[in-house]
Amino acid sequence: MKSISIKLYAITIVGLIAIALSIVFYSFHATSKANVEELLKINIQTSVLNLKHYLDKNLKHNINEIKSHLDTVNSINALIANIRVDDNKNKMIYHSSRKATLLKPSNCVKIFKLQEVNVLQTECYSVRTKIYDELTPHYFTTYVFISQKYLDSLLHNQTKKLFIEYLITLLILLFLTWIIFSKTIKKPLEKLRQFAYYENRPADKFFIKEIESIRYSLEMTFKRLHQEQRELYNLSTRDQLSGLYNKRTLIEKTDWLSVEKHRRGEKFAVVFIDIDNFKTLNDSMGHNLGDKVLHEVAQILVTTVGKNDIVARIGGDEFVIVLPTVTYDIDIINTLEKIKTKIQNPSILSSIKYSITASMGVALFPKDGKNSNELLKNADIAMYKSKELGKNNYHFFTESLNQEIQHKVNVQNMLTEALEHNFFELHYQPKLTIVTNKVSACEALIRLRHPKHGLIAPNKFITIAEENGFIIKLGYWIIEQSVKQIKAWRHTAYENIRISINLSVKQFEDPYLIKELDRLTKDIDRSLLDIELTESVFVNTNQNHYRIIHDIKSLGFTLSLDDFGTGYSSLSYLKNISFDTIKIDKAFIDDLNSDNGKAFVTMIVQIAKTLHLEVVAEGVETHEQEEFLRLVECQSYQGYYCSKPLCIQEFNKLLHSRNYL
Amino acid sequence: MQKKLLLLIFILFFYGCSKNQKEELLLSTNSWIGYSPLFYAKEMGYLDELNIELIPTVSLGESLNLFLVSKADMLTGTQHEYNLLHQEMHSVVPIVLFDRSDGGDMILSNRTLQELKNLHKSQKIDVYLEVDSVNKEMIEHFIKHSHLSKKSMHFINKDQAQIQNIISKDENPTIIVTYAPYNVLLEKKGFIPIASTKDINTLLVIDALFTSKKTLQQNKKRFENLKRVIDNSIHEIQKDPHEAYKRVSKYLNEISYEEFEISLQTIKWINKPSEELLRKINTSIYSTQSLIK
Repeated sequence: MKSISIKLYAITIVGLIAIALSIVFYSFHATSKANVEELLKINIQTSVLNLKHYLDKNLKHNINEIKSHLDTVNSINALIANIRVDDNKNKMIYHSSRKATLLKPSNCVKIFKLQEVNVLQTECYSVRTKIYDELTPHYFTTYVFISQKYLDSLLHNQTKKLFIEYLITLLILLFLTWIIFSKTIKKPLEKLRQFAYYENRPADKFFIKEIESIRYSLEMTFKRLHQEQRELYNLSTRDQLSGLYNKRTLIEKTDWLSVEKHRRGEKFAVVFIDIDNFKTLNDSMGHNLGDKVLHEVAQILVTTVGKNDIVARIGGDEFVIVLPTVTYDIDIINTLEKIKTKIQNPSILSSIKYSITASMGVALFPKDGKNSNELLKNADIAMYKSKELGKNNYHFFTESLNQEIQHKVNVQNMLTEALEHNFFELHYQPKLTIVTNKVSACEALIRLRHPKHGLIAPNKFITIAEENGFIIKLGYWIIEQSVKQIKAWRHTAYENIRISINLSVKQFEDPYLIKELDRLTKDIDRSLLDIELTESVFVNTNQNHYRIIHDIKSLGFTLSLDDFGTGYSSLSYLKNISFDTIKIDKAFIDDLNSDNGKAFVTMIVQIAKTLHLEVVAEGVETHEQEEFLRLVECQSYQGYYCSKPLCIQEFNKLLHSRNYL
Repeated sequence: MQKKLLLLIFILFFYGCSKNQKEELLLSTNSWIGYSPLFYAKEMGYLDELNIELIPTVSLGESLNLFLVSKADMLTGTQHEYNLLHQEMHSVVPIVLFDRSDGGDMILSNRTLQELKNLHKSQKIDVYLEVDSVNKEMIEHFIKHSHLSKKSMHFINKDQAQIQNIISKDENPTIIVTYAPYNVLLEKKGFIPIASTKDINTLLVIDALFTSKKTLQQNKKRFENLKRVIDNSIHEIQKDPHEAYKRVSKYLNEISYEEFEISLQTIKWINKPSEELLRKINTSIYSTQSLIK
């Protein structure tokens, strides 16, 4: 259906009304005309009849006797303009007009034809009157001329007047209809359209209920939209938990500030703040309290920094402050000190007393970065340095720090690449049983054979792998490879060779460790896989670590305590954890030249014997060392005296030569 | 919405159709015993059913005038009125015959016929009549029949109502040409019948209903029904004159039942005329072709 403008619609409606009114008017006029004609006929009939009756009764041969009466009839009867009476010889014997010549009988219609003629246009009617002379009739003809003025007054004038009145009324009506329509519908709808389209100014209250209802609905919709817009804006620019700016807004503002400061040649600072040990707080005290703490920190930051400073929360416990007006580093330090002091003040939330600290890193524009991305990255690096340096402190970003980080990033990329392209390989260092002088076990050690950088020792990447969590993936790879090797030796002369692998403390944070261990080793005799744990596992240990160790043991693996003797409370670990083997740290073996050194090794071996633990000495490099170990009845050793860690092919050769030749 | 609109149009259509009633026909008639069937039909409501309204007049002339000026669509009258109308209009036709006067038209006088004949030549006799009616034929036939001289007569043209009011017995020698029921009051005043249509066999006075050819053409069916109503009314008047009298007396100058009965005897109903009568009317009065059978 084609759309039309409301103006055209209104004109159509008004036009239809005008047509309808015209039809009504015409119908009214036609009815009126018919009524007037009927009344006029009755009037003519009555007038002529009365005249005829009078003449029948009173007309004598001398017309003069009734002239005065006829004059009176003519003057008082508005219908009759003139009366003319002719005798039977058609000679006019009476007329009421001064201009008798105008009274022409030729135009007259006989009265009995009244019903057949148009009474409004008939000028004259004739009727015969008969008078008797004794019984002889004499015929007279009476002509009654109808007053044109009267006829006009009956219909023509009335019609004309009525038509003009109708026309004026119609025009006024149309004009008023248009005005009313325009004022109450057209203009309000236009206002409503503008209101709906531009929304620039709220429309007034409208007269028409339905339009007002639409306006009200629109207004309500706009209000709701604005509210939602504000909420959406807040959602998009603000952090819901803290009410601070979110990362997106921070980036926008920082980039804008970078441009502005670059133009002015000024500097500003970006401070990256991370709550220390927040995860522990969250885990131990619950997320609700954690959220409250974050909110409190947000309040501290907002109240500490200046009005024009930008405060944002960009992650879980990560906040960023942008200090746009800094002239000297001391100003930054003052602010950071204030923040540090306020944050570390003990607080009480939900009746729980807690104390937190924060590590902060600072990057300066334009020295440490040209845009938000660089500034945030470098501030983050500086912040991590603070953490490395013992937390609860701040650190400014430096170039050396950057290089250090770049190195770590490169190593991380290399590790990822190595795992994807299978650049890692396991080397096996044999463990010899001193009594039999045969290889009974081996320790699997990770190596990276990079096509570009050559063979890379683990000390170059293990720490970084532990820092960034890559060690978890790498750990699974080591387990898989070890299992594969155990399977490879199955049904061979080496099927009893036990492989030791090292588990990093970071791997204990992997919630899927036990599940994956179980899955990966389900096809082998788990007693052939020994898990070596260093004391670092037990530093900052918790119940979770003990549970994991217990689960490992339950799965059927043997446990070795690596680097025994170098930690803090090795004996207590031996008491609490059912190790199968202790490995005497290389430092003790290296010290076997001294009496003290010998005494310590002797003592460790005795303890192991007492606790029914197997003892492996690490780092045996000389025959003397081996002889001493044999003397004190240490069961096994590993070290360069026997062999360095070997690739599997070489290790197999070693096995063959040692054990079977 | 569309259904409601259609229903409205439907109702308006049927309302419009229902308004298409027959137009009222006006019948001018005067007080004459021969027209009693019309009065009876009016009182019984038969005419209302046909939407025919009576216009009572005091004379045949007045009825004629009403018809002439189109105030009436039909009129009752004698051949005299027919002739007058025919001279004017040519289109007038008889459609229903009522009666023939059989003593109903009469001549009364305050003198006997003999006394009138014996009057001195210089003494004039006042003759009251409706000149423009069958009275004229009646007096002419009477003069001829009674051998009286027209020159001894002074003709006074009055309608029957006027005649009744102005006449007293003690005046000059007077002749009144009248008809039933106007004769009743005049006879009470002492006038005596000296001649009537019963005696003057040369005069055949026929009362009939006339209309224009155009009206007949437009209302043929209605006139057929009117004829049946008239026939039925005549039948009921003949069957129970007393009951009929109660209904029509007010149209006949409140005459008594006895006078009504006597008046009825002065006419003969010819609503179902014999072939002979029709031939006679056809040859001497007017064409009977348009009569409704």
